[in-house]
Amino acid sequence: MNHLSSETFRENARAALQDVHLRGALKNATSLFGERRKQAAANLPNWEDLRNQARAIKDDALLHLDRYLEEFERNAESRGAKVHWARDAAEANSIIVRLGIDRQARTVVKSKSMTTEETHLNTALEAAGMQVVETDLGEYIIQLAEETPSHIIAPAIHKTRRQISELFTAELGMPPTDDIAQMTRTARATLRDRFAAADVGVSGVNFGVAETGTIVIVENEGNIRLTTSLPPIHIAVMGIEKVIPRFADLDVFLKLLPRSGTGQRLTTYQSFITGVKRASTDEGPEELHIVLLDNGRSRMLDHPLTRQSLACIRCGACLNACPVYQQIGGHAYGSVYPGPIGAVITPQLMGIEKTSQLPYASSLCGACREVCPVKIDIPRLLLHLRAEIAPRKGGIAERLAFKTWARIMTSPALYRLSSAAGRIVQRVIPISRAWTKGRDMRPIESKSFHDLWNE
Amino acid sequence: MSSDARQAILSSIRSHLSASVPDDNPELKVHSIETGKEIEQVRKGGLPPLSDRRGQAPLSDLFSPCSNVSLVELFKENLEAVNGRCIIVNSDTDIADALTRIITDLKAQRLAISDNPEVERLLNLTDLEIEELGVAPDAHDIFHFDVGITTVQAAIAETGTLVLDSASERHRLVSLVPPVHIALVNASMICTTVGEALTLLRKEKEISPAVTFITGPSRTADIELTLTVGVHGPQELYVIVNGST
Repeated sequence: MNHLSSETFRENARAALQDVHLRGALKNATSLFGERRKQAAANLPNWEDLRNQARAIKDDALLHLDRYLEEFERNAESRGAKVHWARDAAEANSIIVRLGIDRQARTVVKSKSMTTEETHLNTALEAAGMQVVETDLGEYIIQLAEETPSHIIAPAIHKTRRQISELFTAELGMPPTDDIAQMTRTARATLRDRFAAADVGVSGVNFGVAETGTIVIVENEGNIRLTTSLPPIHIAVMGIEKVIPRFADLDVFLKLLPRSGTGQRLTTYQSFITGVKRASTDEGPEELHIVLLDNGRSRMLDHPLTRQSLACIRCGACLNACPVYQQIGGHAYGSVYPGPIGAVITPQLMGIEKTSQLPYASSLCGACREVCPVKIDIPRLLLHLRAEIAPRKGGIAERLAFKTWARIMTSPALYRLSSAAGRIVQRVIPISRAWTKGRDMRPIESKSFHDLWNE
Repeated sequence: MSSDARQAILSSIRSHLSASVPDDNPELKVHSIETGKEIEQVRKGGLPPLSDRRGQAPLSDLFSPCSNVSLVELFKENLEAVNGRCIIVNSDTDIADALTRIITDLKAQRLAISDNPEVERLLNLTDLEIEELGVAPDAHDIFHFDVGITTVQAAIAETGTLVLDSASERHRLVSLVPPVHIALVNASMICTTVGEALTLLRKEKEISPAVTFITGPSRTADIELTLTVGVHGPQELYVIVNGST
């Protein structure tokens, strides 16, 4: 089920549909998260206002992204952080690898970060001889299993407790058990040693506040606090779109993000990190490095539609709401970001050549738009991307067919003639198998409405 | 290399923003919370400077210091809803009794405390026999303690949240690494909303290098979506609220 390519999305999806266990797990996860989100949103009287405010803040941030990034950099550095800029994944990785090598780092502990999944940071650090340990429980499980995340907030939902027990028994020497608490304790104990030995901590960033230079990271497990508190160096990787103007803006996002993701009022921990400690006797890392990553993001600013995709706060609500994701899960998309938002972001980040099937991985039902806490119009974005893809595809037959169809539908004589012909032809040849495999072709009635009217 | 990258990214942002076309979909037009007007979808030359817009920044909730008794109850209710335990007391003696009971029940021998002298003073009021006491142990020593005891700088009633400011107290590791965290809270520190707590933090001359919000013991649902309390952070969280202040 792993390391699939977006180029084979249709095959991936077909295979996922055959996986009975996967579909059961997906049904449980997406309906549970979806139901909790719905309740959490209903419990706030001003949910719609909050969504509008969040979007307004993000639009402001994106329309003045250069200034807010400069302001963020200035304020973070005035408090002792070092800000690095990376045009692409390779540049980000080489900055981080260099920081590790210069400090003779051997063990790197990581908290969950979709951005470092995007840059394949682990591969780069391992190639440089460092041992990388994912510390989020779900990420740790899939790292041991050598797999990739299948959901952006619950990376290991595709695995059963039995699979995880077998994995922990083989890799960590845990006695076989079906007790989830026991498995969690085993992971805690193993990872404590890794935390104690870590030379570098790498985290992502949920929000970067321009006004104060603060980075904010949210979580439930406590591994982010450990990653950002224990090792002498903390490296935070932040997509440039994560910047927000003011500290007070956090109020809106801290209401929307946990409720949209897991239905919690607040996740267990929020870490607000502003520069480094003031005195050497204080607690916390000696150094804080913030790596600002572009990797295709600035390109997306040039159209109001594509710019919207940069407002995403990575809550995962659109995955849970999507009837396509609910059936096939995250791996089938063959991309780091799955689901509706992944189908929109991936082609823009990676180019549409290798990802041209993804914008079609949707029925355009609009459920994603309904739940999005920052009101991203994902269906419209999907259509926008499809419009870009369509002319590049061969599709001469399809274009000819639609041209002919248009001609017929605008001429009453041709329309009558062709529907008469259709009535005969449909008995003889089945029409387009690709169309009828997933749906029934409605037979053409023996008499048209026009005929009946005349009678 | 980094300064090249910086210039390249900033230029790319500027050129793509200036190439941007207006959007024709009215649904996409959103309202600015600052002015109530539509946010311009196209960037033009004459934007007001950041400082002007900053002056209008809305603080979503006006801060009001609150020592309302009902806030204590609300805090307790919300903390218990996320598996935290809350004990409301009215005197130093009560706090000492509560500490004695919790620590005895846990059979804890090794206690880590923050460097707030108040914690040690209250601990001295108990008749506990403590095998080892560490004051704000560092990253090398913290791992073998059974319990961590700290105070907090604020609390939030609507979510049952503790606010820890690392500039005021060395409690970053004591509240995180030991399997049990006991927090001592004065009722007068409890405010109503997350927004109020954020406003309080922003009011400080300088935001502290590390502020942490804590809402209950650590948790995960990463295995079969089954809620498991106690992962990397504390498995148990006790909050003793002194209502007499």
